[in-house]
Amino acid sequence: MKKFAKKIAFFLAIGLLLGEIIARMFFLTSSIPTRKIDEFGIQRYIPNQEGYSKGGSHKWYINEKGWPGKLPESYDKLVTVIGDSFIENFMNPEECHQMNYLKKALPEFNYTEASRSGVSFIEALEISKQLDSLNPRVQLIYINETDFTESIQQIRRLSDITQIDLGKKEIVYGKMKAPGVKKILYSWKFIFYLYRRFQGSLTLPKPKETAETPKKPISDYFDHFGDLIDYGKQNYNLDKIVVVLRPDTDEEFSSFLKSQDLNVIQLDDSADDDWSFEYDHHWTCYGHEQAARQVAEYLKKL
Amino acid sequence: MLFNSLEFFIFLPIVFVIYWFVTNKWLRLQNGFIVLSSYVFYGWWDWRFLSLIAFSTLVDYSIGILLKREKKESHRKILLWLSLIVNLGFLGVFKYYNFFVDSFVDAFLFFGYQIDGRSLDVILPVGISFYTFQTLSYTIDVYKRQLKPTTDFVAFAAFVCFFPQLVAGPIERATNLLPQFFKKRKFVYQSAVDGLRQVAWGLFKKIVIADNCAKYVNIIFADYQEYNSGTLLLGAFFFAFQIYGDFSGYSDIAIGISRLFGFDLKQNFAFPYFSRDIAEFWRRWHISLSTWFRDYLYIPLGGSRGGTSMKIRNTFIIFVVSGFWHGANWTFIVWGGLNALYFLPLLLAKRNRLNTDIVASNRWYPNIKESFQILLTFFLTLIAWVFFRAKSVSIGFDYIVRMFSMRFFQNPLLDLDFSILYLLLFFILIEWMGRKSKYAIEGISILPRYFRWGFYFGLIILMFTFTGEQQEFIYFQF
Repeated sequence: MKKFAKKIAFFLAIGLLLGEIIARMFFLTSSIPTRKIDEFGIQRYIPNQEGYSKGGSHKWYINEKGWPGKLPESYDKLVTVIGDSFIENFMNPEECHQMNYLKKALPEFNYTEASRSGVSFIEALEISKQLDSLNPRVQLIYINETDFTESIQQIRRLSDITQIDLGKKEIVYGKMKAPGVKKILYSWKFIFYLYRRFQGSLTLPKPKETAETPKKPISDYFDHFGDLIDYGKQNYNLDKIVVVLRPDTDEEFSSFLKSQDLNVIQLDDSADDDWSFEYDHHWTCYGHEQAARQVAEYLKKL
Repeated sequence: MLFNSLEFFIFLPIVFVIYWFVTNKWLRLQNGFIVLSSYVFYGWWDWRFLSLIAFSTLVDYSIGILLKREKKESHRKILLWLSLIVNLGFLGVFKYYNFFVDSFVDAFLFFGYQIDGRSLDVILPVGISFYTFQTLSYTIDVYKRQLKPTTDFVAFAAFVCFFPQLVAGPIERATNLLPQFFKKRKFVYQSAVDGLRQVAWGLFKKIVIADNCAKYVNIIFADYQEYNSGTLLLGAFFFAFQIYGDFSGYSDIAIGISRLFGFDLKQNFAFPYFSRDIAEFWRRWHISLSTWFRDYLYIPLGGSRGGTSMKIRNTFIIFVVSGFWHGANWTFIVWGGLNALYFLPLLLAKRNRLNTDIVASNRWYPNIKESFQILLTFFLTLIAWVFFRAKSVSIGFDYIVRMFSMRFFQNPLLDLDFSILYLLLFFILIEWMGRKSKYAIEGISILPRYFRWGFYFGLIILMFTFTGEQQEFIYFQF
């Protein structure tokens, strides 16, 4: 048994070493930037990091402010672009960021991005508050309805996402889940590759339950959303904020936001439905370009 | 739990360590631990169906003991029938009830009568056909006095639910597997290494060959009307390798894992696609099921003794029942019937045992005659596989008609990644080179370590590179 255990351990060690070499050589996984929680309770990336996308087709950068993308040359006539993984946009090359397409469409403005995957609406508002010091003309927040539901503790408590406790009118900042384990996982490329590869590992199909819990209609949450927006009006500069709703956003939700006197852009992909990757719901470069065009049309009217 | 899942890669080392380091001093404890781990393994899918296995275990264990005590033949026969009714009853309810109801409704409708047949809203418990046949073999052997019934309930329960082969075989005979639970197991280094090697080859067959063929099979069979002859032929070809890679891969993994735990299971596949006739194919394909039917159905029916009509009857019965065992659908019955048609001429001409040796056993490659025979046999099985894969008999026929109706050698109209063809070529080559062994890569144990390890790492890299969408093992549904 000793001999067997020794050989297995040796085989695994060589396997892990080989795997690590291959994973790094062929960029089997994308590099994941390390996060921190800043003095305002916002999760952002540690500044000045760079890494590769899966397959090594392009590089990503974290700027000195701790957000993906490059900083603008000037902060005059600034438009900020705030959002989640869609704006973070690690899956596309640098030139496909929203701010670059917006700059092409409306060069008279300068743009900066502040994004992180998993950002809720309330966290986006918190980020906008920090960016207010740059005196932006407009703050664009790219979201859909799930970013609203995730913002409210009364709907669902999520410890890793910044939320609002509507009862206490208090922001509850998200905590990073197992940062030590994640750091090891992200640095050990081969193990991370295996993790990504098999995390959705299927078990046998579970027997179908006879009665499925029906999904609640979004309108059931409108009271909570109304309270959230009231809180936003009292605590953030909502006049400068424009909510950019992704094309897949619920129509009822979109109408609701408009009825609350928020500035809303509803993106529309009905003309062509090719905004997203085949294997991923995030936008391709083309999708980003189309989204930026529609946003630019709105900005022109301001 | 699937063998090719992350859960299993965590489950197996834990069970292995506890089995050899914690429970190894007490045989009963070790057997009890096998039962526990096997129930966790099975319950991962749906714990509710554990009650079926437990009940079946209890019934057959009790009947075994009663059969030993009972001297009167008529009473012993009743006990045997009781076991058959309970075991086949479960199978009937969960697997075949809806099929019979639907078939009756269709038959009455054919004659103009509309009847209301109520089908059951039940799911098929994974592996029920496998463990049912395994427990049945115990009762029948005890009834025939070929096996002494055990009084060790834990050992018997472990025999019924032994996790490596619980859900998709090989269907072990009580005479082979049960005695292994009574002996103290010793860890044998060479056996464990050999087991791991077989597991690696089984995973390669499943992950690389079967799952990658499945991608194309699913596309082609889903819209077969849209494709030309060449594509349909390719679809059938891929399915032949999908089912072989899938099922023999599972068997390899099951046998390999059993060896890690000190058990020897019987070989279930012996390179069937190198068979020179259908009789040889059936001696090499799903051996544990073929021999089960041979011993418990074919021979009791009279086998190949008796007149021509009896031979024909028995051949059809065994093949049709074997087809029906695979699934409650007419397609499996047609598949079985077609194989019977292939087999009968050989049996009637007494040429069914012409090829009992290994093809080209003293040569590197087969001669022209053998090559032709192998290709012809493969082609015949390929035609039959179409029914096995088709959703209905009419679709199966339509698929075959379309396969031959247009120009046979039309280029496939499919966006084909050619790497699958290279992988198949590599696979066939390795299988050919290892055809004298119990599994294809058994022979590399004599090669230098750098070569062996290089080969293993190569296999692992191929598995990671060509992992398709994870598919269930086909035979789970049986």
